Amino acid sequence: MRRLIEIEWLKNRHYRTFWVVIGVYFLVLGFVCSNGKQVLAFLERKGIKYEQFKPTMLPIYDFPDVWQNITYMASFFKIFLAFGIIISITNENSYRTIRQNIIDGLSKKDFIFSKVGFIFLLSLLDSTFLFLLSLLMGFWHSSVTDFRSISQTIFFIPAHFLEVCTYLVFALLVGLLLKKSGLSIVLLLVYTLIIEPILGAILLREHDWVARFLPIKALNNLIPSPFPRYLFQEIQDYVAWDAILIVMAHLVIYIFLCYRLLAKRDL
Amino acid sequence: MARNWALFYHLIKKNNHLRSVLSIQQLQKSYGKRKALDSLSLEITEGAIFGLLGPNGSGKTTTLGIILQVVNKTGGEFYWFGQPPSHHQRKKIGAIIESPTFYPYLSARQNLRVVAKIKEVSPHRIEKVLTLVNLLERGDDAFKTYSLGMKQRLSIASALLADPEVLILDEPTNGLDPQGIAEVRDLIVQIAAMGKTIILTSHLLDEVQKVCTDFVVLSQGKLIYTGSVQEALAGNETIELKAENLDHLCEVVRRYPTIKAIDKQSTHVLATLQESDKLVNLHQFLIGEGIVLTHLMTKKQNLEQYFLDILATHA
Repeated sequence: MRRLIEIEWLKNRHYRTFWVVIGVYFLVLGFVCSNGKQVLAFLERKGIKYEQFKPTMLPIYDFPDVWQNITYMASFFKIFLAFGIIISITNENSYRTIRQNIIDGLSKKDFIFSKVGFIFLLSLLDSTFLFLLSLLMGFWHSSVTDFRSISQTIFFIPAHFLEVCTYLVFALLVGLLLKKSGLSIVLLLVYTLIIEPILGAILLREHDWVARFLPIKALNNLIPSPFPRYLFQEIQDYVAWDAILIVMAHLVIYIFLCYRLLAKRDL
Repeated sequence: MARNWALFYHLIKKNNHLRSVLSIQQLQKSYGKRKALDSLSLEITEGAIFGLLGPNGSGKTTTLGIILQVVNKTGGEFYWFGQPPSHHQRKKIGAIIESPTFYPYLSARQNLRVVAKIKEVSPHRIEKVLTLVNLLERGDDAFKTYSLGMKQRLSIASALLADPEVLILDEPTNGLDPQGIAEVRDLIVQIAAMGKTIILTSHLLDEVQKVCTDFVVLSQGKLIYTGSVQEALAGNETIELKAENLDHLCEVVRRYPTIKAIDKQSTHVLATLQESDKLVNLHQFLIGEGIVLTHLMTKKQNLEQYFLDILATHA
């Protein structure tokens, strides 16, 4: 596995476009997640108030809330990482290097595993980044910093890892299936932001349980929105087991489909 | 040098049982109803420079794609070194099919590093193969800045990276200038002399004639000829003769005892002798008959003519 990840690393290491896309992701993510207080201050200047509470009083970076808040925000930006993955897989197709890799002695399974392995690594990097960022913001702003408060909901970080990883493998599947980078990016974007929300809303009305199995909905169910709690509403502040199982099943299915697709295809 | 190698190869082949490198049995490939390959069978033995010939769309690249496992076969079997195919064997095969294929944004060295990692060979080989194809100085430039000749040479370097026993070259001189063609041709013979087996497709038959030991001809996915280049070209010397009176010349030549064929053209006479006889004897005979030739030339039949004849008879 190490060798397979190294292969993918050698391919991407000197590829500027890839790192620009990944860099944009980390910049935007870091910027948004560390400036929550500024956003709240902006809202306050606009005169937004809830009874006697001012927005800046909201403890968004306090332990243990910070984990869920930041990982929830991060899920909106994972599409940037997906662009990077789509570019990398569709390039292999347009340069025909995917065929040459197989000719040179990589099995089709190895090829998929080298991509998936790299995705794991990238997701790990991303999760580590979010972990450090949350820790930093927490220590900076939080009024409580005892171990119990810090570690209480830290499982949102592994949940975020699973979410990003699965979404990236989904993007890999889309890129492998459609072959063209532009088409894949547009379709992934349209599906994630338009098609599935509409589909989900229709299904949700009548068949609630089906909606939970939709690719994006399943991912979103991992980390539910934490913000209603600041409006004194009940929220789910844990990661549900069934949500984890559904996403894990998706991940396995996506990897399997990638392999089947490649195995059946004449390159 | 090339012809010497072919002679040498056939000498060994006659006297030894050479190991089978590739054995293809009844290979089939269909795209819907169209048959791209129709029960193709062939054997390639150790040390051969094997030419795979045929017009465009005859199934050459499909065959290479199948034996390298990037195209799925519809039927039949093939064996590398007597074993069923696997990706571990491919690490020991150097192959480039169709155009040179590399990551355009990576340099030659970076590209070869990817290949070395795939083939599990030491990166030290990279400098060696770059030297062999004369790309050492440009090795750090991005692949996309290379000329076609350099790209072809990098392909060969990449194919040689694992010091493979078998080399598969698909149109290796495509798009090269005459000097480049000569360079690549010399390289091929040089590689063959190291004892490697080479499978080559080319539409430049002159080239196949110069380097190959054996060849097959494909047409519409079917094997229509298989044999050694030597046999194909043997005993096919034609003699071109001219004299003041062509009719008379024709009559006299016809009377010559070892004549095999004679053909009177508008400006000259074409004759073929039995293989045992020599041209001097014919000339002696004609002098004895009082004929003064104004033109005498022997023409060796070339593979191109032979190839076109084979195709024509199977059309």
